[in-house]
Amino acid sequence: MGEEILRVEHISKRFGGVVALDDVSLSIRKGETCCLVGENGSGKSTLIKIISGVYIPDEGDIYVNSHHYKKLTPIESIHEGIQVIYQDFSLFPNLTVAENIAINEQVASGKQLVNWKEIQDIAREGLAKINISLPLDAIVETLSTADRQLIAIAKALLAKGRIIIMDEPTTALTQKEIKALFKVINELKSQGISILFVSHKLSEVTEIADRTVILRNGKKVMDQDAKGLEIRTMEYYMTGREIDTSAITFAEVTPVTPPLLRVENLNLSHGFFNVSFELRQNEVLGITGLLGSGRTELALSLFGMLPADSGNIYIKGNRVEIKSPTDAVRHGIGYVPDDRITQGLFLDQSISNNIVVRVIEGFKTKAGLLDNRTKSEQASQWIRQLEIKTPSGELPVKSLSGGNQQRVVLAKWLASNPKILILNGPTVGVDVGSKAEIHELIRTLAKQGIGILLISDDIPELIQTCHRILLMRAGKIVGEFHQGEITEQQLYSELIAGALAESSR
Amino acid sequence: MLRKVIKSNEFVIFLILVFLSLVVGTINPAFFSISTVFDILRAAIVYFIMAFGLLPIMIAGGIDISFVAIAAVTSYATHMLLIKYGYQGGIVPYYLIACTMGLLAGLLNGFLVTRFNLPVFNVSLATFTMWYGFNLFFVGATSNFDLPKGTVGYYAKFLITSQDPLVGTTGLHESILYVVVIGIFIWWFLKYTTIGRGVYAIGGNREVAIRSGFNVTMIMLVIFAIMGILSAIAGVTQAFLSRYFNPVIFIGQPLDVLAAVILGGASVTGGRGSVIGTALGVLLIQLINRTLILTGIPVEWQKLVLGIILILFTSIPALRERRIKRMGHTTELLQE
Repeated sequence: MGEEILRVEHISKRFGGVVALDDVSLSIRKGETCCLVGENGSGKSTLIKIISGVYIPDEGDIYVNSHHYKKLTPIESIHEGIQVIYQDFSLFPNLTVAENIAINEQVASGKQLVNWKEIQDIAREGLAKINISLPLDAIVETLSTADRQLIAIAKALLAKGRIIIMDEPTTALTQKEIKALFKVINELKSQGISILFVSHKLSEVTEIADRTVILRNGKKVMDQDAKGLEIRTMEYYMTGREIDTSAITFAEVTPVTPPLLRVENLNLSHGFFNVSFELRQNEVLGITGLLGSGRTELALSLFGMLPADSGNIYIKGNRVEIKSPTDAVRHGIGYVPDDRITQGLFLDQSISNNIVVRVIEGFKTKAGLLDNRTKSEQASQWIRQLEIKTPSGELPVKSLSGGNQQRVVLAKWLASNPKILILNGPTVGVDVGSKAEIHELIRTLAKQGIGILLISDDIPELIQTCHRILLMRAGKIVGEFHQGEITEQQLYSELIAGALAESSR
Repeated sequence: MLRKVIKSNEFVIFLILVFLSLVVGTINPAFFSISTVFDILRAAIVYFIMAFGLLPIMIAGGIDISFVAIAAVTSYATHMLLIKYGYQGGIVPYYLIACTMGLLAGLLNGFLVTRFNLPVFNVSLATFTMWYGFNLFFVGATSNFDLPKGTVGYYAKFLITSQDPLVGTTGLHESILYVVVIGIFIWWFLKYTTIGRGVYAIGGNREVAIRSGFNVTMIMLVIFAIMGILSAIAGVTQAFLSRYFNPVIFIGQPLDVLAAVILGGASVTGGRGSVIGTALGVLLIQLINRTLILTGIPVEWQKLVLGIILILFTSIPALRERRIKRMGHTTELLQE
C-alpha cells in the first residue's frame, strides 16, 4: 500500500437544521480500495459531494496529494485526479463507445476538427487501461448497464483520475457483472489507483474492501482494516441496534378460504417460472431475491404491466385475467413502484391532487365539475392518517422529503380502497427514521385487512414487516420462511448463498 | 458492415423510394423518363437546402418551423430593396444580401433560445408568425414578377438537357450543385467538427454535454446561423426558379420539410439524424407529392399515403425501443 493520497479531517456539513455529516475524518492511500458503508441517509452521498467539490463543508480540512483545501471546487477536484462515477454514468446514449470515451479529451484539447482515427486510438487506450475490449463502434444505448459502467470507468481513467469514487456501482448489475467489475477494480489497484467504493451491500464490501468505513447518521462509527471483518459486525455498526422483533406486533392473519390471492404455476418467459403462492387477508408476504431473480417481474405481472404467459391467478377463489394495469385495478390490486419519482407521482402537482388522482371520478358534482371542498377534505384526512408532514396539502409533492413522498404514493392507492397492495421497494431512498414509520404503517394496513405483497431486498425490512418471506432465485421460488423462524443473518446468508452458487457456476 | 447498411434507416427509405417508383412506373410508364427525374429534382432543390438547414437543429433536439418564414422574408425583402434602387444586374447580390439577413434572423432565434432558455419550437412558432407578418405589413403584400434583367435567364440554366417527345426540352438545373455543396458541407460539419459532434452530444444528453465542456450556447447559435443562411438561399433560389417573388412563399411547407428530416432518421427528441437520410426523405416526399398524380390517384390520396408512411416510420423506432425494453428486464437473467 502506498502513501496517503486523500485525507479529509473533521468534516461537518449541515443542511438547514439537519446535520448531514458530523466531524467525519477519512483517509485513502494510493492503490487502496476503501469502502464507504452506511444506510440511506447516513451521509455517504454528502461526503462524496464534498470530496468532488459539489458541496462546501461547514467545517474541516481536505488534503489531496498533500495540497490543503478548506473547500474544493469541482474543477480543482478533477485537477487533483478525483473522478466520480455517478449512477447515471454521464454518457451520451446516442454516440458510439469510442466517442463517449474520447469526447472529453476532444473538447479539452480545443481542436476544432475531429480526427476519427485519433478518437478510436484514445478509446482503445482507455479500454486497455482496464483490460477490457468493447466494440468501439457500438452505440452506447444498445449496451448493458455493466458495459456502460466500464465505459464510464475508462473515461474517468483517461481524465487522469487517480482517485475513483464509485457511487453504488453494483446496484443494477448481475452477480456475473459484479465479478467482472471487481476484476477491473483489482486491476486499477495494481496500477496504484485508489478507489472509494460506496455501497450498502455488505457481501460485496467484504469481498472488495481493503478498508471499511461505516457512517451512521452523519457520524463515522467504524474505520478499520477489512480483513476478518464480519458482515454481522458491519450490520451492527450500520444500524446501531440489534433488531428486536419481539416488540413488534403483527396482524392476525385471517385463515379463511379461499385466500385473498392465489397464484398457480405462473410463467413469464425470461422472467419467472412456475410460481405458485397464496396471500391471505391481513397478511404481509415478502418476496425477496437478488436483482435478476425475477421478483420485480413477478410484481409487474401481477399488476398487469408484464402480463404472464401462462398460469392462473385467483382472487377470493375466482379466476381472473390480468392483462393490463386497468384489469389489476378493477380487481382491487394497487401497485406502489420502486421508482416513485417517475412512476408514482406528479411532482409539480399538489399533495392533495396526487392523493385523490386515482379516485377523482368520485368528486364530481351534479354538473360534472370537481367538488374541490370534498376533495381537499378527503385528502386532508389521508394526510392526517398517514402523518404526512406538510404545512398544507396544496403544496407541490416535490416539496416533501423522500419518506413523505412515499406516504403520498401510499395514500394515493389507499384512497381507492385496494384489497391487495403490491409494494416494490417501499423504502428505497428513504431515511432511517421514516423507514421505521413506513414499516409501522405497513403493519397497520395489514391489520386493517389488506393483503400486502412486499417486494424488497432489504433484510431488516422483510424481517420486521412480513408474516412469510418467499425467496426467489433465477426466476423460481426456492425458499419460504415464516416470521419468527428466521433471523436477519440467516436470511442474509440464504440470499447470498444463491449469489455464490450463481457466480461459481 | 453490409448488415449495418441493410438495417439502417436510410436503406429502408431507399427501398420505399424504389418500391414507389416501380409502382408508379408500372401504372404509368411515362414515369420512367429522364425528364421526370429532372422535374422531381428541380422541385426538390429548395427542400433539400431547407432540410439540410433544419437537420442540425433537430439533431440537437429542437423542432423549428420558422425557416420557411426566414426564406420568405429574406428573399422577398432583398428583391423589393434591389428593385427599388433599379438594380438590373446578376444574381449574386441577391444571395449576398439575403444570406446576411438570414444569418441575422437565424441568430435571433438562437439568441432567444439560449438567452432565455426557451424551447426551440416555441421560439420558432413566434418568429414564423412574426416574419410572415413583417413581410406582408412592411415589405409588401403582393407577388412581384419584375425580375432584374441580369437574372431573367437564370431559371433555365441547365447543366444538361434532354429532349422529351411529350414535354419538349427539359434539363437539370444548375442549382442542384448548391444542394451537393451544401449537403457535403453539412455532412462534414456534423461528422468532422467538434461543434458538429457537440450537436449530437446536446441531442443525446444536454446536461452531460455541458459537463463535458461543450459550449452549448455557441453551438446553438452556430446551427441557427446555418439554418438562417440556408433558408435564405432556398428562398432566393425558389424565387428565381419560379420567376417571381412571393411574400408568403413556403407558408404551408414547414411540415413537408420536417417530415422529410424525420423520415430520414432524425428523432424529434434529438441525438439522431444524417444528411443521406434527410436527402432520401426529401426525395421520397417529393416523389409522393409530384408523381402519384401520374398514377391517377387523387391529390387527397397523396397526403393519406404520406401520412401512412410517416406513421409506419415513426413507429418503427418506438417498436424497436419497446423490444429492447422488454428484453432489457430479462437480459440480466439471460446472462446468468
